[in-house]
Amino acid sequence: MSGRRHDDVFRVIAGIDRREFIARGTGVISAALLAACDSRGPKAADKLLKYAERKNLVVERKLFRHTSMDVVQAGANEAGNKLPSYYVSPAVPVWDEATRGKWALEVTGLVANPVRLSADDLQRLPRVSNRVNHYCVEGWTAVETWSGVAFSDLARLVRPNPGARYVDFQSFDDDYHESWDIQSAMHKQTVVAYALDGKPLEPAHGAPARVFSPVKLGYKNTKYLTKIVFMPEMNGGYWSDRGYEWYGGV
Amino acid sequence: MVEGAPKRHHWIVRVTHWVNVLAILVMVGSGLRIFNAYPAFSRKGEIFCCYPFEHKAIPAWLTFGGWLGGARHWHFAAMWLLVANGLVYMTFVYLHGEWRDLVPRKGDIRDSWQMIRFYAFRRKDHPHHGKHNALQKATYFALPWAGAFAVLTGIAIWKPVQFAPYTALFGGYVWARYWHFLAMVIIVVLSVAHVFMVFAVDPYSLPSMITGNYDPTLSPEARNARPFYNLLPRRQTPPPTAAPPTGTAT
Repeated sequence: MSGRRHDDVFRVIAGIDRREFIARGTGVISAALLAACDSRGPKAADKLLKYAERKNLVVERKLFRHTSMDVVQAGANEAGNKLPSYYVSPAVPVWDEATRGKWALEVTGLVANPVRLSADDLQRLPRVSNRVNHYCVEGWTAVETWSGVAFSDLARLVRPNPGARYVDFQSFDDDYHESWDIQSAMHKQTVVAYALDGKPLEPAHGAPARVFSPVKLGYKNTKYLTKIVFMPEMNGGYWSDRGYEWYGGV
Repeated sequence: MVEGAPKRHHWIVRVTHWVNVLAILVMVGSGLRIFNAYPAFSRKGEIFCCYPFEHKAIPAWLTFGGWLGGARHWHFAAMWLLVANGLVYMTFVYLHGEWRDLVPRKGDIRDSWQMIRFYAFRRKDHPHHGKHNALQKATYFALPWAGAFAVLTGIAIWKPVQFAPYTALFGGYVWARYWHFLAMVIIVVLSVAHVFMVFAVDPYSLPSMITGNYDPTLSPEARNARPFYNLLPRRQTPPPTAAPPTGTAT
């Protein structure tokens, strides 16, 4: 026992006495915590966060498997009319034939055989139905059955060039669009859907057609589709450009 | 404190401790901000049995990240810090033998009960113990497990489609999200209790997690300290100044 006073342990680290150490320490910590609360965090961290997002993108794309399928849990209820309806226009976007003419889906870009498909053309293509989970970025999930044309069937129809590594899904809901990596688009559960739970798609959920896949978060699944473009590079997206992750993979 | 005395905490333990403080604060704060985008566990169209505060948001001052997208960036960046730091700590504790101070042993339950009795004034003297008392040991042993559980359930809700069979092990996405939340609650409860006890019982241990130095004569056992009791060091009984007079006649 050296006979030092107990205050010395604090003096060792800060050159101040115990009372002052505790007062200053709690002051600094509470100020830091208060400043941090409910904030976006220090601006200086933005670069670090962007770096982490780029690295996470690489990891997530490596984790992606075409053979990984979404499975709905036994006994899970269909969301039915509890499925929320999101759009970015001021009101539910409705295709107005009087002003815009007949709706058609353009599939184009780096493809050998670009096509323009009317609603009837889409219906004539092989129909698939997937009962899958809808994963929202907000954290909720919903069980839904999406019927339409498998994206991979559309791709077979237009024959993309080897250089087409990304796909942009564009809409008539203002400037809403989201671009995807082609692997996620080609996943077996990705469909261009024109029916929900066995009934024709309603405007609230993206009529006349939308893309839907459980491998992407909800915001990546463009509703009110007008155009699918095969591209050599990614093209951002409505929410991706507003700060959400571009990949949005599940 | 004796010069050249062994450090109470190895520098690796001290560094990982404070990195962990940062990682946990960021993970919990951003996690709660993400949770607030949908502060409930129920699948759309269902009712969740086991959370009494469905659809009640966490107070904003407890959250970090500012908005859903920002909080997600923080969460998916800091997760690597938490995991890497946890692996360094666990590897060190395993290789360097510190696990011996933490691993549960026969008699720990009895010793914990004695600590509770002491804190409740049902027992006069502080139970004798090694580096940590039985309640501390239990806490420091449980925290890494809770952390591992948080990471494992986190992976399950990060990639519920890519790792569908893995997520199913936790009962599916909805339940994995619930377990992830519960892991956070356990970590927060243990951490808050830990910080409370540091300030209320053993403030002298705070420098030991910074410099590594610790004066055992100021330990709670030496002071017989309960929360807020006997915080000051015990007065040393002065050594006898002179030998008692020896008798002259026998």
